[in-house]
Amino acid sequence: MDLTLFGELAINGAMTGLMYSLVAMGIVLIYKSSAVPNLAQGAMTMLGGYVVLAIAGGFGAPLWVAIPLALATMFLVGVGIERVALRRLAGRPIIMILMMTLGLDIFVRATSMTIWGGTNRPMQLGISDTPLFLGPLLLNRTYVVGAVVAIALFVLFLLFFRTRMGIVLRAISDDYTASWSVGISVERGVALSWALSSVVATTAGVLWGSVQGVDQSLALLLLKGVAVAVLGGLDSIGGAILAGLLLGIFEGVASGYLDPLVGGGSRDLVIAMTLILTILIRPHGLFGRHDIERI
Amino acid sequence: MQTAPLPSPAATAAPSPAATAAPVLSLNNVEVIYDHVSLAIKGVSIEVPQGGMVALLGANGAGKSTTLKSISGLLRAERGLVTRGEVHFMGHNIDALAPQRRVKLGIAQVLEGRRVFEHLTPDENLIAASAVRGSRQDMARNKDRVYAYFPRLHERRTAQSGYLSGGEQQMLAIGRALMTQPKLLMLDEPSLGLAPFLVAEIFDIVRRINKEEGLSVLLVEQNAIAALEVVSHGYLMERGRVVMHDSAEAMKQNPDIQEFYLGGAKGHEFRDVKHYRRRKRWLT
Repeated sequence: MDLTLFGELAINGAMTGLMYSLVAMGIVLIYKSSAVPNLAQGAMTMLGGYVVLAIAGGFGAPLWVAIPLALATMFLVGVGIERVALRRLAGRPIIMILMMTLGLDIFVRATSMTIWGGTNRPMQLGISDTPLFLGPLLLNRTYVVGAVVAIALFVLFLLFFRTRMGIVLRAISDDYTASWSVGISVERGVALSWALSSVVATTAGVLWGSVQGVDQSLALLLLKGVAVAVLGGLDSIGGAILAGLLLGIFEGVASGYLDPLVGGGSRDLVIAMTLILTILIRPHGLFGRHDIERI
Repeated sequence: MQTAPLPSPAATAAPSPAATAAPVLSLNNVEVIYDHVSLAIKGVSIEVPQGGMVALLGANGAGKSTTLKSISGLLRAERGLVTRGEVHFMGHNIDALAPQRRVKLGIAQVLEGRRVFEHLTPDENLIAASAVRGSRQDMARNKDRVYAYFPRLHERRTAQSGYLSGGEQQMLAIGRALMTQPKLLMLDEPSLGLAPFLVAEIFDIVRRINKEEGLSVLLVEQNAIAALEVVSHGYLMERGRVVMHDSAEAMKQNPDIQEFYLGGAKGHEFRDVKHYRRRKRWLT
């Protein structure tokens, strides 16, 4: 067994996995603060990428201006989603809300298809293409940046959920009615969680956009995001990071050895198996909360 | 020598709500309809005097919780609507206000079944409930106050609330409501599923808060015995209407109440009581 190849597959897998964590974190963020599993996270990631390009292209702004503007725009998009699509559903059965997020996913993808078409647009972040050498291992610089951003966001959200506002969001996800009863503005809390999640989605959209360009396929990151979020436990930010690492390594190594044998395409198989097995064996994931039942 | 007759002790102990200053809460002919079709309460009028403690009694499904939710504004989450009548709180008509605005005005409802934030610690439960009272100093002071009333919560403040005992959860639910600095505290079935000594302990604390801070209390209970011990007045609801309103003393003496709600029937088997109760209603 070639140790260098294994190491390279593993470490690049880990980096890729942390970039999946970016998508997963957006899902966890919304789930942790409003108990809604958001199936539109992939589409929002893609939308984030398009918005950056639109601002950069439309106003000729350099990317370092366009990205903050896009983050702000997407923050407002998140607030808007709550106001238009979700407010009336507060307190309704979760299945209706889940279907609504699926509707949002389709809507966002269809809308961006109409506006921007299907061609792949490059996102030039100015990160060098030349690989980073770690001893004998080659690392993709963009993935390294992505991994660093993912970990930074993880620390940020860890701290955020200990603040008063963060505690309020966790309370909302526990019990809407009880939150109303103590004067929490549930609507505003949900809006904030969608806004933050949209910001995270944009970050993911930029990084993934620079890896594979911006097009409809970015929306498919939802599958990786969901797999990572479920494996980590839907309400655990730390779980999303660790599960991203694990899944990335697993996917990288497994597909690295499998692809030559089956002629490619085994990556998604690894992801699908992970998702299915997690739900069968450990539905609350690695770090998710068991639902507490009093004895 | 005194010429004018002194007011009798009974009269001073239990003044009628109308005799005191303006009530902190008054419901006037309130009607609530769920889902546009199902009529839950009709023509309910109740008053809670400033600093008073009033019980709302009645069997399961009589409309007690619905009445509370029409006051706290939580009806909307269940697609209920006040279709007639008015709810006044400290002189304001609050019918159009969102729940959090009502909390801000000073109405706090402790929900039936306690409903603590199970995945948060008791300390975080209290912090989450301080959202309407902005400043950090307010929050710290309110927390100290809650922990002073409920020392047991302080001991368990870092545990996960879902694993607290039923009594501790009820204390936490009340403490959480106190964090909003209410002027009116509404308790929905706080005795549910608790041992009698715990019910007594919790009611004692509520009465203490009522006395020491002048907090008005509206207590919804099926457990009429326990409730009538702590309140000055009671309303009895049945099938969505108020069918009786009297002082707690008078209600305890009322033979019908004794028979139906206090279990004081002479010689009746419980089964007979239930049978009798099914036939005889104040309203049919």
